[in-house]
Amino acid sequence: MLSVKNLNVEIAGALILRGVTFDLKAGRTTVLIGRNGAGKTTTLRAIMGLQPKREGELRLADTDLGAVPGYARAGLGIGYAPEDRRLIPAFTVEENILLPAYAINMNRQERQRRLEEVYELLPQLRVMASRPGGGVSGGQGKMVALGRAMMTATRVLLLDEPFQGLAPALALEYAQALKRLRAAHPDVAFLITESSPELLAAIADESLQIERGMIETAQTQPA
Amino acid sequence: MLQSLLPLLIDGLANAALIFFVAVGLTLVFSVLRILNVAHGSFYSIGAYGAATLGLWLVSAGANPWLSYPALLLSAVFVAALFGPAIERTLIRWTYGKGEAVQILVTFGLFLILEDLQRMVFGVQSLYQDTPMTLLGITQIGNVVYLNYQILLIVLAVLVLVGLRLLIKHTRMGRLLAAVVADREVSEAMGIDTDRMYMIAFSIGVFLAALGGALATPTTGVAPGLGAETMVLAFAVAAIGGLGQIEGAAIASVIVATAKVLAVYFVPALDSVAPYLVMLLVLMVRPQGLFGVAETRRV
Repeated sequence: MLSVKNLNVEIAGALILRGVTFDLKAGRTTVLIGRNGAGKTTTLRAIMGLQPKREGELRLADTDLGAVPGYARAGLGIGYAPEDRRLIPAFTVEENILLPAYAINMNRQERQRRLEEVYELLPQLRVMASRPGGGVSGGQGKMVALGRAMMTATRVLLLDEPFQGLAPALALEYAQALKRLRAAHPDVAFLITESSPELLAAIADESLQIERGMIETAQTQPA
Repeated sequence: MLQSLLPLLIDGLANAALIFFVAVGLTLVFSVLRILNVAHGSFYSIGAYGAATLGLWLVSAGANPWLSYPALLLSAVFVAALFGPAIERTLIRWTYGKGEAVQILVTFGLFLILEDLQRMVFGVQSLYQDTPMTLLGITQIGNVVYLNYQILLIVLAVLVLVGLRLLIKHTRMGRLLAAVVADREVSEAMGIDTDRMYMIAFSIGVFLAALGGALATPTTGVAPGLGAETMVLAFAVAAIGGLGQIEGAAIASVIVATAKVLAVYFVPALDSVAPYLVMLLVLMVRPQGLFGVAETRRV
């Protein structure tokens, strides 16, 4: 579904990603594991076009993402939840979730259908819907960011360290939400980053290890 | 007492309306693009020249004088369409994220270019076209006399204020603009064409400044130097209200215009300093402006 080939990214003169190569397959959950500073966030940012790449190829199915401006990538079916949530504080939770739908000019019917689906899979968001984005806790914010990413994630869902800093109860809820999401969308490719391998072992179909900007090992669990 | 205060009040509010159009455009551009456009006042004077020229041409062509009203609006639309996208796409875009010094130098350069351009196109004589003002006549209540055109200015300013609020709060475009103001990067990742939003916001700013200038011509005329004068005043208003605050700009416009009118009436010598004295006072107490939000500076 999404293929990353020989991706090199340079930030302020330092090579942060070196030859990163992997494939996300439809319906598979890939986990990208690495320490802080290993290049997980940079990889996702490069896929979204927030970080310019120096070399390499990004393809979404038949589309060369290198030729697609960053803002147009969500519209191609990529949903992205950044590690630091990045909600719009002055918008309500619901307005935050709907933002990508408005941004890509989704028609009203489809927008309502997806919002309803987000609420079904993440029922806690319905309860918070009218609270300001700036007024939810960090953990709740992660849920909102997940809901927001789901609005456009028809093909690929990118979650950057979703479990980072989550209280155990919330982490459990989040993991269950991911399971429901996987069941509801058996054809979407998931990419989830994490710093410790244990957390995601249960839901990972494939796992990649990233170290100093390089993919070290790839393991595939039997499907 | 009331009879002498009422004309002052109307005078003050009508002045406030004109300042508001410019200051709110400045503040809008700042909040979206994060750049202080020193050339903003030039769009006011270009709008004024455009309106006066178009109005004078209509009169000389023997057209229906009521056409001079749409001519004011047309001038502002024309100036915004001609200069907004072109200048943002070329000069302004280049300065994003480059630091205030570069932004101020570039927009100051732009200001100088636009000022000379106006001298080339419109000459150095002042233009005066007051058909829209004389058409509306005056109203007399007791001993109080005021121009109906002044009431029109006040009404238009309120409409612009309410319209901007509705635009930002209730339209798709407005929501996207608000998102870009809050977080450009995440907006981009969520699918917003932020470059386009910058261009739109800049063009709305140009339109508002040009509209202010066009609406001002019937009462004050237009002459070289108008742009600089307006610019400095708009800066004072935006600073008093708090940069990026739409309602702040409205209230600050009223405060500054009131100060100016009171000065004219009671201490004429202080007429042109009054707005800056108010600004000094406000900034001494609240450096972020009356409605501004203090921001930690990220380097």
